[in-house]
Amino acid sequence: MWWVLPALAMLAGAVPASAQGNYEIQVYGADTVAPKSTMIELHSNFTAKGQKYLIDGVYPTNHQEHETIEITQGLTSWSEVGFYIFTSEQKGHGVQWVGDHIRPRVRAPDSWHWPVGVSLSTEVGYQRAVYSPDTWTWEIRPIIDKYIGRWYVALNPALERTWHGPDTRHGVGFSPGVKVSYDFSRQISGGVEYYADYGQLGAFDSLHNQQQQIFVVTDLNVSPKWEINFGVGVGPTAGTDHLIVKGIIGRHFNWKKESPLD
Amino acid sequence: MTVASAALGGRVQQIAPADYNIDIAAYVLEAGPRRNIRTIAYNSQIPGPLLRLREGQPVTIDVTNHTTSSEVVHWHGLFLPPEVDGAMEEGTPAIPAGGQARYTFTPRPAGFRWYHTHTFAGKDLHKGQYTGEHGFLLIEPRDHPGRYDQEIFLALHDWGSELLASADGAMDPAYEVSTINGRVLGFGEPLRVKTGQRVLFHILNSSPTEVHWLALAGHPFRVIALDGNEVPQPQLVPMVRLAPAERVSALVEMNHPGAWVLGEVRKHIMAAGMGIAVEYAGSSGKPRWEQPDSLSWDYLRFAATDPASPSEAIALPLVFASKFAGHGAMDHWTINGKSYPETAGPMLNAGQRYRLSFINHSSNDHPVHLHRHSFELRRLPGHSEIHGILKDTVLVDANTQVEVEFTANNPGPTLFHCHQQNHMDAGFMMLLRYA
Repeated sequence: MWWVLPALAMLAGAVPASAQGNYEIQVYGADTVAPKSTMIELHSNFTAKGQKYLIDGVYPTNHQEHETIEITQGLTSWSEVGFYIFTSEQKGHGVQWVGDHIRPRVRAPDSWHWPVGVSLSTEVGYQRAVYSPDTWTWEIRPIIDKYIGRWYVALNPALERTWHGPDTRHGVGFSPGVKVSYDFSRQISGGVEYYADYGQLGAFDSLHNQQQQIFVVTDLNVSPKWEINFGVGVGPTAGTDHLIVKGIIGRHFNWKKESPLD
Repeated sequence: MTVASAALGGRVQQIAPADYNIDIAAYVLEAGPRRNIRTIAYNSQIPGPLLRLREGQPVTIDVTNHTTSSEVVHWHGLFLPPEVDGAMEEGTPAIPAGGQARYTFTPRPAGFRWYHTHTFAGKDLHKGQYTGEHGFLLIEPRDHPGRYDQEIFLALHDWGSELLASADGAMDPAYEVSTINGRVLGFGEPLRVKTGQRVLFHILNSSPTEVHWLALAGHPFRVIALDGNEVPQPQLVPMVRLAPAERVSALVEMNHPGAWVLGEVRKHIMAAGMGIAVEYAGSSGKPRWEQPDSLSWDYLRFAATDPASPSEAIALPLVFASKFAGHGAMDHWTINGKSYPETAGPMLNAGQRYRLSFINHSSNDHPVHLHRHSFELRRLPGHSEIHGILKDTVLVDANTQVEVEFTANNPGPTLFHCHQQNHMDAGFMMLLRYA
């Protein structure tokens, strides 16, 4: 989920260094949460070096601390629905509610025997104008992933559309995410995650104004119940926050009474 | 004295016709409606033909390999010399693609055994034990131990495997279809019985990797033998558990007329097809299933009741552990820190008794099998010494220890391995040698 990026494309075109908000920084894997179980995740992202000025009524991102709660409920063995609560904490603004999103997702069931994991999510939501000029946005995200021995690759070629806000006229934006990681052990994996927003399909922004970020990340697989991810990301282009530290901690809750007979 | 040989050649020298012929060839199993499985079978049937042999009476079996890969047939649970036992690691010659072999041996000991392929599958989940290459082998004793009216042989198998992520972070085979005698529940003929009959079920788990629990609705099993060897204490049980390669022989009194389901106790496995109808004469209709509310099985119940005598066997600890190979791969396996062929097996002295301690440091259960010998269960997790149960395969649960004893009375290289195909292929094997 990289929903603020397209909204900022407009600003990026207007100013040398655009504002940017990062609330959930994650390349999705194709698997879905099992039925009768819930995944609760806390995404904590701190912009160590970002936009320092108020631009068109949008708060600067520099030293913003974003806390996002993501609640995902498994529906069937091939579908789930996720719900997000975005918040921001910043000196002078305190803790603020930013917005909410909802994200249904389906995947290719195991019985299809596809050689790669494939799922499709769509996300709709609102965010306050002081955090993003585009207040209503929609995203559709194909997700493809594959484990090969110790290697893991995930691709998220997401398409985004603004329903309300200055970017409404800009059509569909292309915001891919890629993850490549390596299993150092059963518990520790490490790799890189790449996030981008190239701008409108068919009329990409100049490289200078594109959103480009690369994170060095580690995943800790300490238990099937827990999901832990840490990373540090840099944004080399003018349209990107330059240094972000992110962390995800998630916990699976199984509501189904476990029986060896099932 | 055992007479054994495995003659090999482009064509077997037909000095005399064999007692049995086994043709290994591609086969399409019709496991159920729209469930056709392309596999390999013995004599175009799954399970392969039942081989009824007489204890001590030499037998000749010609095997022809019509496939495009090397094959070998392992005679599981028999006390055979290594050159005919059916494991290339011990020295039995492989049967090349298009080739033939003649196995000549003297079958012993009496009891319910089986035969199956003993080839490497690796990542190809359509080879080795993933195929239909298995069959029943019954060595008739000179004197029969029990009275029964009908004998029924059942093989449990799983098909359509693919690698899926498991809870331990590695990939493991998972299956789409589970069958009894190659058919899913409701497809194929029911087992036909009569009121008042004593039916002797010989049940084999030929699954490449899966443990199975089996119950017959409305009827308990009286277990009389494990892995073909009579148990000291036959017991009435509501269900039987079989790890891959294990066998259970159990009597059932047919005293509850109707149509019943004999099937896997776990719901998702029965839903995948593992079940068969049992129909009394004069009964018809939809077979009934009574879902048990728990799983129950314990080898201990069948052990001798008199105190076990102190052991004077030489201790041989074998520590089982996994080696992580990535979240996208199956684990590798070690015995005492090494994977086959680097595993350093102990040197055995003929006539000596040994105690093998299976110390499972992994989070997986392992059905371990010793070739060409039987062993006696001596210690199970949480219990004191036991004795009297002879087996050739035993399930060692995750993070537990099981101890068995055997007498080194069949010289020659002896293979020891986990009978899960994916484990033995990934290093979980060891060759024990005689001095």
